[in-house]
Amino acid sequence: MSQPALYERLVFKNASVYHYLKIYLILDNDDRKINAVYFKQMIISALRDLYGEIGAAFPFDVLKFEEDTLTAVLRVYNSGLVKLWTALTLLGSYQSEPCAVHVTQVSPFLLALSGNSRELELD
Amino acid sequence: MVNMAVFIDLNISYTADTKKLQNIIETAAHLGYSTVAINHVVDLQQKKQEIGKPKCVSELFDRLPIVQGKSRPIKVLNRLTVVVSEASHFRTTNEVKSYDIVAVFPKTEKLFHAACMSFDVDIICIAVTEKQPFYFKRPPVNGAIDRGVFFEISYVAAIKDSTLRRYTISNALSLMETCKGKNVIVSSGAEKPLELRGPYDITNLGLLFGLSEGDAKAAVSTNCRAVLLHGETRKTALGIIHTVKTQPTAERQEEEEEAVPAVKRAKRETL
Repeated sequence: MSQPALYERLVFKNASVYHYLKIYLILDNDDRKINAVYFKQMIISALRDLYGEIGAAFPFDVLKFEEDTLTAVLRVYNSGLVKLWTALTLLGSYQSEPCAVHVTQVSPFLLALSGNSRELELD
Repeated sequence: MVNMAVFIDLNISYTADTKKLQNIIETAAHLGYSTVAINHVVDLQQKKQEIGKPKCVSELFDRLPIVQGKSRPIKVLNRLTVVVSEASHFRTTNEVKSYDIVAVFPKTEKLFHAACMSFDVDIICIAVTEKQPFYFKRPPVNGAIDRGVFFEISYVAAIKDSTLRRYTISNALSLMETCKGKNVIVSSGAEKPLELRGPYDITNLGLLFGLSEGDAKAAVSTNCRAVLLHGETRKTALGIIHTVKTQPTAERQEEEEEAVPAVKRAKRETL
């Protein structure tokens, strides 16, 4: 190298140990009320169905749960993201009532969940 | 962008209930699928089953629902799945040709071999509701890959029931052992709107089926597009060419509607 580089390259790698998921729950039966505790229980049982006891024991947090819209923000370690996400995808019923979980956004930064570019109106 | 991956779900179960079908397609559009195929299943072993003409899609909707984030309407196709348990069941008739996509669900190893090597189909379905009754052998699977035929795993059974989920995953894993993640599509098979999942969920689910991240994404996007193109070749003599107008401005146009210069690619050389 004849000339010293005038810039320094910084790679910001793997900034966060967590991933955040914004999800919403769809229930077949609209009158049914679910609170945050039940909601977490539901996810744990989905994990148990797919991954057994070890899956049910792995750490994740429900950061926020809105009962009226059934939207939630989950936080999970990067290593557990695929497990949690697949369990949510394959969740098809809760207490023998059909339901579905739609994952709207996944990001390593919580701030990213504040807006959703896919809901913008394009023309 | 011409080659941008759009998401496609090639298996929406047909029901006579129009309202329900509309509902499912609306949900699919909302989830971000740009194209869906309505699947008509025919099991020729049962009596009085015959292949009928597909329903016209325009009867279903006055206005097709808009795909989320794309601001254009969803494309709806017709697909035929023939369940074959005897070699005589599958014949290419004019009725079969009127469908956009033809799939076959072979019940025995011999038929699986025949389906991979010689049947004029686009998709070979993999059992998800029972333990795979035979092993996937390397030669037929490679033959299918060479011919551009795709293997389909449908995930709806995995959502409904935990035993079926085990079958789905184990059959998928044993297929991946042989095909190494090539020529696989993942589709829903949904009968209700609640059974549909978003394309990114399915990409993630593909990891569970033993696909790599790239293959998993291809399984809901580019591979499905290849199936559509393969289906189109059946209606022509040899192949199809898509032409796209290249534009100097930033304005980008949808690929299919354009019929002007710049040859893109001749997809494959079947037949």
